[in-house]
Amino acid sequence: MKFSRKSLGIPYLVFLVLFVVLPLIVLFWYAFTDGTGHFTVTNFTGFFTDPNALGTLLYSFAIAAVTTAVCLLLAYPTAYFLATSRLKSKSVIVMIFVMPMWINFSLRITALKEVLTVIEGNLAMHPFLNSVIGMTYDFLPFMILPIYTTISRLDGALTEAAMDLGADPRTTFLTVTLPLSVPGIISGVSMVFLPAMTNYVVLDMLYNSTYIMGSLIGSYFAAYNWNGGSMIALILLAIICLFTLLTGDDGEEDAQRGGALL
Amino acid sequence: MAKTSEMKHLPQPSGIRRNKRTGHAGRAFAIGLAAALAAGLLSGTALTARTVSASSVPEVTLRVCNWEEYIDTGDWDEDETIHLPDGDIIGKQSMVKDFEDWYLKTYGVKVNVEYSTFGTNEDLYNMLTLGDVYDVVCPSDYMFMKLMSEDALVPLSDSFFDTSDPNNYYINGVSPYIKNIFDTKSIGGENWSKYAAGYMWGVTGVVYNPKAVTEDEASTWTLFDNPKFKRRITIKDNVRDSYFMAVGALKSKLLTSDSFLNDPDYSQNLENEMNDTSPEMIKKVQNYLQNVQGNVYSFETDSGKADMITGKVLANYQWSGDAVYTMDQADEDNFELDFAVPKESTNIYFDGWVMLKKGINGDSEKQKAAEAFINFLSRPDNAIRNMYYIGYTSVISGGESPLIYEYLEDRYGAKDGDTDTVPYDVNYFFSKDGTGDYVLTVPKEQTKRQLFAQYPDGGTIARSSIMVYFDQAQNKAINQMWVNVRCFNINRTPWWGRILTAAALAGLVYLAIRKVRAGRAEKKHRDAQNLRKAL
Repeated sequence: MKFSRKSLGIPYLVFLVLFVVLPLIVLFWYAFTDGTGHFTVTNFTGFFTDPNALGTLLYSFAIAAVTTAVCLLLAYPTAYFLATSRLKSKSVIVMIFVMPMWINFSLRITALKEVLTVIEGNLAMHPFLNSVIGMTYDFLPFMILPIYTTISRLDGALTEAAMDLGADPRTTFLTVTLPLSVPGIISGVSMVFLPAMTNYVVLDMLYNSTYIMGSLIGSYFAAYNWNGGSMIALILLAIICLFTLLTGDDGEEDAQRGGALL
Repeated sequence: MAKTSEMKHLPQPSGIRRNKRTGHAGRAFAIGLAAALAAGLLSGTALTARTVSASSVPEVTLRVCNWEEYIDTGDWDEDETIHLPDGDIIGKQSMVKDFEDWYLKTYGVKVNVEYSTFGTNEDLYNMLTLGDVYDVVCPSDYMFMKLMSEDALVPLSDSFFDTSDPNNYYINGVSPYIKNIFDTKSIGGENWSKYAAGYMWGVTGVVYNPKAVTEDEASTWTLFDNPKFKRRITIKDNVRDSYFMAVGALKSKLLTSDSFLNDPDYSQNLENEMNDTSPEMIKKVQNYLQNVQGNVYSFETDSGKADMITGKVLANYQWSGDAVYTMDQADEDNFELDFAVPKESTNIYFDGWVMLKKGINGDSEKQKAAEAFINFLSRPDNAIRNMYYIGYTSVISGGESPLIYEYLEDRYGAKDGDTDTVPYDVNYFFSKDGTGDYVLTVPKEQTKRQLFAQYPDGGTIARSSIMVYFDQAQNKAINQMWVNVRCFNINRTPWWGRILTAAALAGLVYLAIRKVRAGRAEKKHRDAQNLRKAL
């Protein structure tokens, strides 16, 4: 048989079909059937009429949004100064930021739990705050890295040109650097926001007993309600798709616009 | 209690397992579960292909599915040997391997045990529904009742109950107390014992720090909404245990009233009260648990034991086997923790071996091996090995064999030099008529510590109640109640939350509109370009 470069893609195709396409079909099948295999949309309408499900969605959104905002506020200046500084050991510093990711996740959160206990006394008093801290701790590198990469790839000539044309540093930053780093911000936001909506393990470990989307799905499966659980998973998937669509190309567009500004 | 090196094997495994007893069925993300299903569908046919052996010895394959860390895996150190008057006990190789050897020697048949494990009853049930096939499994009482009611089980054969066969260790060794329960509790008109043989059992209670919580305070289910311990106590993150606790607390007055306690039908009344699933009760439980949620440190699945030992919490709702583990661990740190069983009632639970129709599939050789497996685990020395290894309490009292009682004396009996000793009556468990000489002499502290957790006293047993199997409608109502407790209800959103949500939604809509417009503009632009090219 003649070897073509296309056949290199076969393993991935098999993987894709087995672990992405087939499960999705199963997911759809469960989401739109009742327990006995008949087609139904009650799982779908049920979600949007259930104050608990909607409340959980809102609560997950709130946690994810605050986490993302905090991550962004922490990550942007860090990434900016790191990328624009003349430090010789930049790569070492970047490595320090990435290093926590090499340590097992639950170990990290367990350590954080002890640290927070020392600071706060009783963790159970601030469940929302702790969840945000835990998520931020966990996801911060995912925000720093893309922003750092984007800023460090910026053409220095652009900022120089802005300065030459009389813009003060503040104007330069706001009209040149910031718009050009939007793609990095967007990829950071989607890498933090989406997992933060479902990562219930952080909440569990930091004693927040309110459900978020991940735990809600789990509770449906524990009650053998696979249909309802699948529907929530599907709705979450739809929300994620929508979110990606809305922010997706925008990055490039904004980058172009940023470029066009000059 | 004298700490010996024997203890060191005990803690770890039991700790990991029992806390998952009825927790969230592996909160596998739906996609992950679906992926497993898809993979299972594809590989299912391949897996069922049998290996054909060339040897002359007949072979049988036995597929066992048990709780994680719920059987002795052997490899004990020589100095861990348990020395009893009637023999030494040591786990050299795993229980499963020992069974295979024993079966070949006793029946001349080579049995291959395919041993798998599960994390929660719900996990097991989901695995079975997804098409996993096992011959013999070990769910808790309510789950084997569910399987019974779904007609999924093979009844134990008559020969299994034949007391004249010395290899029938189960029927010859099971505690009379446990046997009576399995012979009388029923579902759908059929007794448990028709399908299920007990393995381990226990009660629910409270592990507490005696320096901060008095025995009286810990001995009631109302502990969990006691404002004195605000955010310093934990309860279980699963609906059945939380429900039982809430019912006990809500009915505390009734359950401890003289008229209720002295009623001739006390036991049955108690079971009815503790399994009250009327809509009004469910509503009350919901309100109660919402209060409790504001008072407890957490709903825990894993962390309770560690948090007790590090002192983050002062009391912890616990299953007796895990309570033993927690106290053992604390002892190692020279930190005392005690165990109390609420005065209202305690949930007595059993894990039992049952054979599945889909697995056995009419194969009498397989069924024989499955029943022999249960019997082998019930042999007193093996029961001790398992108890020692996992920390829970075996249903086996030993029958004619004195080993189990000797093991109790060895572990908990007063040693020379102990002064403050008391008698501890365990006749209910060992004696046929509930009276006799099964009275240990133990250090007084053991009446509220490990011994009490492992073999509760008669008074505790008298106020124990099983949790029945809830039917689909009841389950649905209770699960809904649980979701109501655990979820943030959107109607509780404060005004600023509503404004923020509206703003966020408006932002999204704006983004969407801009996106669509940009798309249109681009299309127009492209059309114009194409037109220009065409011209």
